[in-house]
Amino acid sequence: MNYQWDFAAVWEYRQMLFDGALGSLRIAVVAILVGVLIGAVLAAMRMSSRALLRWPALAFIEWYRNTPPIVHFFWAFYALPVLLKVSLDPYLAAILALSTQSGAFYAEVFRGGVQSIERGQWEGARALGMRSAQALRRVILPQALQRMLPPFMERSFELIKTTALASTLAYSDLLYQAMQVNSITFRPLEVYTVVAAIFFIALFVLSLGAHCIERRLARAGGLLAS
Amino acid sequence: MDFVWDFSAVVQNYTVLLKGVGMTALLWSIAFPAALCIGLILSLGSRTRHRSLRLLTRAYVEIFRNTPVMIQLIWFFYAFPIITGIQLSPVSAALAGLILNASAYCSEIFRGGIASLPQGQWEGARALGMSSTQALRRIIVPQAFIRMLPAFTNRAIELCKNTSIASVITVQELMYQGRALSSAFYRPLEILSAVALIYFLLIYPGSYLAARLEKRFASQRA
Repeated sequence: MNYQWDFAAVWEYRQMLFDGALGSLRIAVVAILVGVLIGAVLAAMRMSSRALLRWPALAFIEWYRNTPPIVHFFWAFYALPVLLKVSLDPYLAAILALSTQSGAFYAEVFRGGVQSIERGQWEGARALGMRSAQALRRVILPQALQRMLPPFMERSFELIKTTALASTLAYSDLLYQAMQVNSITFRPLEVYTVVAAIFFIALFVLSLGAHCIERRLARAGGLLAS
Repeated sequence: MDFVWDFSAVVQNYTVLLKGVGMTALLWSIAFPAALCIGLILSLGSRTRHRSLRLLTRAYVEIFRNTPVMIQLIWFFYAFPIITGIQLSPVSAALAGLILNASAYCSEIFRGGIASLPQGQWEGARALGMSSTQALRRIIVPQAFIRMLPAFTNRAIELCKNTSIASVITVQELMYQGRALSSAFYRPLEILSAVALIYFLLIYPGSYLAARLEKRFASQRA
């Protein structure tokens, strides 16, 4: 183990890595937002009393939950354009792959949260003269959101890690930029260790923050009280 | 939509895809048992009285859980040989990354499962004259294992999905074969759809099982 670590070469190309980190951040944020939207629609369809809405949502959710993300990246980039006759750039393909898949997982998180609230809460709201939409908004969701928070954060961390797959489509995310730096400097050990460290620090800090919020919410007795 | 679907490239080359499925199965069937064993050892490490050992296992678990699997595989393939001087083959680099990654998650499942048993189980075993390894083996693990079953099934599914990332370091598993075929025959839509379907058929039974187990344990507890 007499290898001489040399981070100077990596430091020299810090701007490239920084751009890559921004690229990763951009697709992560957009994909989470779009994913939440897709997840909310899917969850509503999944809980609908109409089979015509319920079954397509179920099929979509099961399909995306039971296939590896990398397949969806390649499918969105190489296969979908054949069907649509428009080519997607790597950015859009990555967003599409990430948001559809996390949408399927978010849908289950939302459904689990809403269904974990006891029936009595619905009945109580109905007894006060609320319509179902009102009951959902005023009574059920404020309680359900707190229960959804931990699995929601967990899913979002998974999504952030999955953004690294965008590099396989030559989207300039952190990992792709690192590969470029590596091909210039021939320092794979330093480059990939730095990239792993950046991901680790970002995710570790985020998960500490999430735990902190969860604990504070639990102490305050939910979103209603705080 | 005047696109004409043509699955002949898939049908004619099904042996190529089958070979890919074989490699996927091989990766999974080595990595999962290995990850279970390492995970159990790690979870014991997190329960010892030695502070430094506890910190070390904690750091291991957090590092592997908070970095992307793809970076771990790439690290083992491109960076690891530089420190050690050992060039890993794509398959062994993929196995190293997959096993270490999954073992970090498995150790958390073991830790949670063991912690979920009431302290009285330990005390009862001790009262019967068992040493703590005996208590662990005969009393704690058999009970905890049932509770951990759904979580382990989910982990097995995640691991199966993660094997597809090995294609990035040229392991010739299902995803790699699919990409090779689709660039050779210019039929990405049919071939990649077929690959996705094969993955679904491999993974769905496991996830159905996990959901059933979860439901059954939930109703037992209620």
